[in-house]
Amino acid sequence: MSASKTTGRKSLSILKDLPRITLANLRPNPGAKKEEKRRGRGVHGGGKSGRGHKGERQRGNRPRLGFEGGQAPFYLVIPKYPYNEGHSHRLQYPPLTLRRLQYLIDLGRVDTSQPIDLTQLVNCRGVTIQPLKRHYGVNLVEEGAEQFCAKVNIEVQIASESAIAAIERNGGVITTSYYDPRSLSVLIKPVPFFMTGQPIPRRMLPGEDQVKYYTDPGNRGYLADPEKIRQARLALAQKYGYVLPDISKDELCDMLAMRKGIRQIFYGLSAGWIVNMAEKKILKPTDEKLLQYYNAQ
Amino acid sequence: MAASVLGRRAALLTDAISVSLKAFSPIICYHGVLLQTAGYHANPSRFNVKEPFIPDKQNERTPEWQKTAKHDRKLFGRYGSSSGIDPSTLWPSRAQLEEIIAEEKQWQPSLEEMLQNIAVKDKELADKRRAREKLIAANMAKMPDMVAKWRMEKREAREKKKEEKAKRDRLLAEAQERFGHTVDPRSSKFQDMLKDMEKEERKKRKLLKRKKREEEQGMFAAAAGDNASASGPATS
Repeated sequence: MSASKTTGRKSLSILKDLPRITLANLRPNPGAKKEEKRRGRGVHGGGKSGRGHKGERQRGNRPRLGFEGGQAPFYLVIPKYPYNEGHSHRLQYPPLTLRRLQYLIDLGRVDTSQPIDLTQLVNCRGVTIQPLKRHYGVNLVEEGAEQFCAKVNIEVQIASESAIAAIERNGGVITTSYYDPRSLSVLIKPVPFFMTGQPIPRRMLPGEDQVKYYTDPGNRGYLADPEKIRQARLALAQKYGYVLPDISKDELCDMLAMRKGIRQIFYGLSAGWIVNMAEKKILKPTDEKLLQYYNAQ
Repeated sequence: MAASVLGRRAALLTDAISVSLKAFSPIICYHGVLLQTAGYHANPSRFNVKEPFIPDKQNERTPEWQKTAKHDRKLFGRYGSSSGIDPSTLWPSRAQLEEIIAEEKQWQPSLEEMLQNIAVKDKELADKRRAREKLIAANMAKMPDMVAKWRMEKREAREKKKEEKAKRDRLLAEAQERFGHTVDPRSSKFQDMLKDMEKEERKKRKLLKRKKREEEQGMFAAAAGDNASASGPATS
């Protein structure tokens, strides 16, 4: 007993004498970092470092999929294999896993007391959206659904069924909504947009291909009937075997009930308003025609 | 799970250094768990709002792009009202608005329109599918008969082949008996034999026929004679 006491005291005194943890005496865990491969060193110098001879292959500047250096490409010569058809026009949705969302919340990078939309996710560097690479938003993926335990009001562009279930099981709310490329670029970088002094644009409706997804209450689409969404929430709870928490009795009820309008890009700001960052002011149009245009559904 | 662990850690932290916590704002409390969140801080503006640089539009040396309405909007966005730009010019003018509305009308169908189009397309697809299903069902109903017929044809073909083989074997055996050695079925000898046999058969058949006819006639004649003798006394 006494021995353990002395060792405890000893270790405490050692701990007291140790320097404080700072960036200077922190280092990555052993095995956390992989040493970078350095090509063309030592006896291997002077070669081509495994990249072949000249051209796009060596310089890592490969042309687009299916391009054969100007010769009529195979997919046009024998138009039989449609696997990559329209690959340069397809909508891209970078994935966001529930595990990563939980990680962001745990680190305090995302504030769950406010509705989470693409702006929050981009601002906390949770996702990277590149509208010029045909990105149309994020795809919420169920990976890490077991660990997910946050109550959020989140808006994503695509969500899988089990991801929806994981959010709703914790008493959260999820909406899938569409942003056209212009609205998306405004949404992911609001400050640079406000600096241009332009009125906030109207959000466009999805194309005919996407309308079906966003009118489906099963996907919690923003064009779906709220009553049907309520039923779908209950049905999903029954399917996955959990009790749906009652949102109306929640302390964060107002926050969870927040939803954007069909033509709205930011919470609390409607189309046609101008946000001036220099003076911290919002300018609203008063012209009849302008109001009519910006408020039209 | 993770939140609870973090919450415990956060609670410890609050005990230890409650002063430095103010740097993290706001602090949310839910599920009895303390969470610190980092608010978003936009980078400080690089524009000097107090002494804005407003390009002189009358000056020839001012580049053209600095005289556009787009640049005016940008100036307002940077410097606010101190840029001296009329805020009403920030919105599209009447003519521009008309243009925007016309373009939207042309290229952006309304939700109802799109839903209608989708319904029509869905209906077309469903009709096509139903027609195909109907065709398949009708064809499948014919299937058992067709299978039975195919089986019968197969069986018949097999039996016919078997019969032919038996006949050929018999003929070959007969030829061997007649000539005393095996005969090639393609040789003229064999063919001649076949012809002979056929002739004989025909003759036999003819004979049989004639015999039959004669027999019948004989029976008929006998019957007629009987009849005549039976009716003779009555007429005399």
